[in-house]
Amino acid sequence: MISKTKKYLVYGWVLFLFWSCSDDDAASPKDIYAFEKPAHFPDATYTFENNPITKEGFELGKKLFFDPILSRDKSVSCNNCHQQSRAFADSPLHPTSIGVDNRVGIRNAPPLANLAFMQEFFWDGGVTHLDFVPINAIESDVEMDETLVNVVKKLNEHDEYPLLFEKAFGVKEITSPFMLHAISQFTAMMVSAGSRYDKYVLEGTALSNEEMAGMKLFEKKCATCHSGELFSDFSYRNNGLNDSFGDLGRGRITEDEADHGKFRVPSLRNAELTAPYMHNARFLTLEEVLDHYDGGMVDSPTLDPLFKDGDQVVGISLTTEEKTSIIAFIKTLTDRDFIAEPKFRNND
Amino acid sequence: MKNINLLAMLSLLAILWSCGDDDDAKPAEFGTFQVYFDNKVGADDITRRDNGSTEYDFETSTGEKFNLSLLGYYVSKITLEGPNGEYFQDEMKASASEAKGYYHVLEGESASQNIKLEQVPAGTYNKITFAIGVEEDGVLEGAAGGVLDPADGAWFWNWNAGYIGFALEGTAENSGQEYVDWGGGRETLENTFAIHIGGWKDVADNENFINNIKTITLDFGTTVKVGPDLSPLAHLVTDAMKVLDGAAIDFSNTFSVHAPKAGKPFAEQLPQVFSVHHVHQSTSGHD
Ligand code: HEC
Ligand code: HEC
Repeated sequence: MISKTKKYLVYGWVLFLFWSCSDDDAASPKDIYAFEKPAHFPDATYTFENNPITKEGFELGKKLFFDPILSRDKSVSCNNCHQQSRAFADSPLHPTSIGVDNRVGIRNAPPLANLAFMQEFFWDGGVTHLDFVPINAIESDVEMDETLVNVVKKLNEHDEYPLLFEKAFGVKEITSPFMLHAISQFTAMMVSAGSRYDKYVLEGTALSNEEMAGMKLFEKKCATCHSGELFSDFSYRNNGLNDSFGDLGRGRITEDEADHGKFRVPSLRNAELTAPYMHNARFLTLEEVLDHYDGGMVDSPTLDPLFKDGDQVVGISLTTEEKTSIIAFIKTLTDRDFIAEPKFRNND
Repeated sequence: MKNINLLAMLSLLAILWSCGDDDDAKPAEFGTFQVYFDNKVGADDITRRDNGSTEYDFETSTGEKFNLSLLGYYVSKITLEGPNGEYFQDEMKASASEAKGYYHVLEGESASQNIKLEQVPAGTYNKITFAIGVEEDGVLEGAAGGVLDPADGAWFWNWNAGYIGFALEGTAENSGQEYVDWGGGRETLENTFAIHIGGWKDVADNENFINNIKTITLDFGTTVKVGPDLSPLAHLVTDAMKVLDGAAIDFSNTFSVHAPKAGKPFAEQLPQVFSVHHVHQSTSGHD
């Protein structure tokens, strides 16, 4: 068995050689369905080897993403809570998400970008693989309130989907792993690395003095947590929003009191577009966020030690000018190409 | 271009090496090995009762009366070993189309209780090892089919994504469970209980996570032979009473176990739950 796989690999390489050589000469147009890691990003974590991206798979995933058939009463699609114009975060009209029958969720829908580089999903990190994320959305009674079993049944009875799955995956019958793979092909391709900041890093395109000053401050005061090119170390921390926790956050997953009230450090890419902020949508503007860091934190046993000096809650002290320049810097992380990218747009 | 040349050289090398490999392989002999999981409570066979049924078939050592409506578990990573270095490792592959090497054993579904291992190298065997649950390497493959398909009976936890490794459900006279109407026709009946043992995360820098997956090794106490005409069977017993008694269950306060920490005292019993009833040597044609 092993040696057989080995052989296929070899044939694959040889094919690749030929293809890659001819490709060089012909300067063919860029394959928009190829996943490309931006040069300055860490390695992707998504298991592409189990689910290679194809045009058919990606387009099928997109169709599913925009199709309310995934919800119980065909009223809610993924796109209801994840809109491209907001870097796939929810509209500010829905500070916490709104599902079928207008049921209100408890958390703010995060933007969807650079998911292929993340290891854990959701504010509490409870989901450990991108493929499994839609199961939660589909089965949550405050989101789509449907069962995975029934979604698969509806898709099999549909007049277009069976053929689309056959084309994408060569299967005669639709099963949940293929549906989840299709959706992941769409969501894993959502790479946002075309902001002015990225052009500064990759091509040296200048930023303004104020933005550069903001970057310096950010590196000093924020990058302990919002670190690296994804602007998150993906740890779970309490940044002083509450002193008692109706939503245990990470504590729900680790079942450890020391994690009560901790939430994933979010990426700040496209933050200009993703208001309101924090897991509970506490703040409407970036100004409010910085005022919170500066003097609005409340103490609790799990408040991050970075924000404390002994017993004293110190937060991050910032002058008005510093706040303005940090915000100017955060706005350089806005990726206009990403929110305008035609391949993510609904074509139905 | 330099890179590509390098790739080409590597590829050629790989081709040569892989072909050589093929030629060397000497014709080996194989057989099948069957593993039968016989579920019991103490010495008794199990009759699955409807949820809420007050026919209590069993009693724990502390006098808790109960019955079972569901008993099952995932068996994975099976290996067989023999005294002369014989070794068989069941192939594992979780992909969208199948879940090779993962078995979902369910009481009352006899096909699921009979696991047939194919392509076992001929030889003598005296030991079996398997895991109860789906370990990290399986979960992190992403969406999988077969017995791991959540839309086709797989036991999957959404909120803390992963698979339930071992589950017991039923009704107990003293269960503290009250009636709950979840709406949409879903309900939990009075006096029922559900013990779901899950939790697979074993993150080096986070000791909070509980990995409830147990690896079980059982000695046959004798040897059996595998060959083209020799297909032995190991009859194993899964004693559900040991899960409950070992954890000294008090159904009045323990009736709804759905998280790794609460499942841990039960998971700790799993190494005692499985035993070898007997093995028998039989010739081909045995099914
Ligand atoms: C009713 C609103 C709603 C719908 C519909 C919805 N989501 Fe979400 N989504 C959320 C919320 C809220 C969260 C954050 C949940 C949490 O942290 O507990 C989230 C989180 C996510 C995440 C994780 C992002 C991260 O950074 O960790 C992904 C990926 C995602 N959703 C994809 C989808 C897909 C695909 C669908 C359609 C199958 C979908 N969502 C449908 C509200 C929604
Ligand atoms: C000790 C770690 C830490 C530091 C330092 C830190 N943050 Fe955060 N930040 C977090 C966490 C954790 C959250 C999410 C909290 C929640 O939702 O409960 C967050 C959330 C945010 C959000 C909301 C993003 C969204 O999508 O909702 C913004 C904006 C933000 N931080 C900006 C900053 C800025 C600017 C600084 C520096 C002045 C900073 N942070 C410093 C940990 C940190």
